[in-house]
Amino acid sequence: MSFKYPVVMPKMSMTMETGELLLFHVKVGDQVKSGDVLFEVMTDKIDMEVEAPADGVIETLVGNPGDVIEIGKPVLIMLTETEVMAFDFGGDAAAPVAAAPVAEPVAAPAPVAPIVPAPVAPTPPPVAPVITPPPVAPVAAPIIVNTSVKAVPKARVEAANRGIDLRTVHPTGPDRTITFSDVNSAQLDPAVLKRQAANKALIAKGIEMTRGIAQASFNRRANANFDHAQLISAWAKVLRGRPDLAAHQHIGVSLIIESKYGSALPVFRDPDLINIDQLRALVTTTSDAAKNGKVPIAMLSGGTTTIFDLTSYSMSSATPLLFPNQVTSLTIGYDSESTKNISLTIDLNFCDFYDGALLLDALIASL
Amino acid sequence: MSDRMLTMAEAVREAMSIAFDERPEVFLLGEDVGIYGGAFGVSGDMYHRYGSERVLDTPIAELGIVGAAVGAALSGMRPIVEIQFSDFTAQAMDQIANQAAKIHFMLGGALHVPMVLRTPQGSGTGAAAQHSQNLEPWFASVPGLKVVVPSNPADAKGLLLASIDDPNPVIFLEHKLLYKIPGRDPVPEGAERIPLGVAKVVREGKDLTIVATGIMVNKSYEVCEKLAAEGISITLIDPRTISPLDMQPVYESVEKTGRLMVVQEGPAHAGFINEVIAQMAGSSSFGSLIAPIKRLAGMNIPIPYAPQLEKAAVPQIEDIEAAAREIVKNWR
Repeated sequence: MSFKYPVVMPKMSMTMETGELLLFHVKVGDQVKSGDVLFEVMTDKIDMEVEAPADGVIETLVGNPGDVIEIGKPVLIMLTETEVMAFDFGGDAAAPVAAAPVAEPVAAPAPVAPIVPAPVAPTPPPVAPVITPPPVAPVAAPIIVNTSVKAVPKARVEAANRGIDLRTVHPTGPDRTITFSDVNSAQLDPAVLKRQAANKALIAKGIEMTRGIAQASFNRRANANFDHAQLISAWAKVLRGRPDLAAHQHIGVSLIIESKYGSALPVFRDPDLINIDQLRALVTTTSDAAKNGKVPIAMLSGGTTTIFDLTSYSMSSATPLLFPNQVTSLTIGYDSESTKNISLTIDLNFCDFYDGALLLDALIASL
Repeated sequence: MSDRMLTMAEAVREAMSIAFDERPEVFLLGEDVGIYGGAFGVSGDMYHRYGSERVLDTPIAELGIVGAAVGAALSGMRPIVEIQFSDFTAQAMDQIANQAAKIHFMLGGALHVPMVLRTPQGSGTGAAAQHSQNLEPWFASVPGLKVVVPSNPADAKGLLLASIDDPNPVIFLEHKLLYKIPGRDPVPEGAERIPLGVAKVVREGKDLTIVATGIMVNKSYEVCEKLAAEGISITLIDPRTISPLDMQPVYESVEKTGRLMVVQEGPAHAGFINEVIAQMAGSSSFGSLIAPIKRLAGMNIPIPYAPQLEKAAVPQIEDIEAAAREIVKNWR
């Protein structure tokens, strides 16, 4: 199957916002190979030849020589057999969404706004001469020599909980074994960081990705020996270990509180970073105030995840739709005198089934 | 609270005497347990206090001694057998492993064998290879036997009383080097039992968990004291009963310390303490380990006669200390 692939006006310098299309080197119907020159571009600083990112056929010439085109907007559309993973955000600014078939290549605003590379991502600098690295050759993963690593058991548990690839952790233990403290001080796997950067950019751009359909829920029974403060804190802690799932600088746990004035959603910001007793006092006073229809305005925004407690309704679980810009939500349901039912809903655009299972497992383990 | 500091020999004698007084069906039999007072003086004056009907000197015939005890147990008595050296149980193994351990099960539970077989084990006396073995795994690997390894006089007393009460055959392994030393803790008066199958947390720490049996508990304790002064705090666990084995305190401790070291006197290969490692490796506490499990055990050789070599063949305090220091230093 061939895909429509827009080749866009590249960003060639930090200040560049538009570029002038000088001339095409190809015409509609031309067969091109990866690396063939497609067109020439002039900017305030540099003239540049733009190459084909993959083998294919030229389908449409969108721009005309002499046009001034915004960066990220398509200059031509080519058809390619080369498949590019939709979520392979690689290191390339333009590649991520390029594989999505372009429905209205000319009229529609191109969904190819470049994603600003996160500083940590191993991307070529913006001024690098090659502007559109071929999507068929994504930036190589971090160099990993060992396919099997030696690590103490607790290091493995910790790494799994935090989404750290042990192959990227520097071992300091005897016989190059990864110790617990190696994992404790480890940075996140660059691949995870890359995904985090991509997720941030996607949310920032407001790109809706079939929300509502791509959700999954997970259910598990837990001992009912926790209160809202403990749950909020534990959940924030779990999310803290997975910054790749958050598009925000902070963690805001929104707790739904029912009152005669309607539901209030006060947000507890970074609750895992404050003392549990202080948090418990805050949760109590806020909940009490919310029941009287009073929540500080400052607490009404900034939610990044939501908790519903259905226990008092004798409901065992619910699968809520996620709030916009939130990737997770939890519901607490009644199970028995001594147990509760915890359901986690995740957005499959940002995490996979396995992530969901891990998250819920980590939450219950830390309760 | 008593402050009586007894030796293990005295504590064992006291337990036997209490059982003699409580139950007329309890009696002691073995080589030289009567007039001579026992090869290591454990029965002492019991022959004179209880007479030749209850403290029986036997011929040198271990198979016959244990066979007689099994028969007596089947007919309602509660015999305590003393075998002079645990090495000699090899002679009596058919009665121990094939008869005592199995009769209850092979007769559909109709009969049981409430026998206690006490025997001294271990090296350190210059008695060479045939009188110095630690044979814990021999017994621990036979279903139907309970196996008790006391590490101090107070435990020996309470555990022996519980062993005599127990309807199953119990192998009670006493370390020769502990017979003459007073324990750290006083031995309580009275007849209080210490239940079989309950481990003892001897001391608690946060950096390392040591599980040790018999005399190795004492050696490890000294290491704990010494390293505590350097800021290394160690939890020491004495299983006390190696069959059945109480692992719960070990799991709980390892979940806190993340490091486990096991110490036994017997040879490493297929030794009892390996069971502790195996159960830990298969447990949900495995994920708490931040260090490989360290095993200190005897060498896989017959115990040498030469004193220096005899000492080198089993873990000593210095070995335990070095290993404990290393595991805490290397694994963080």
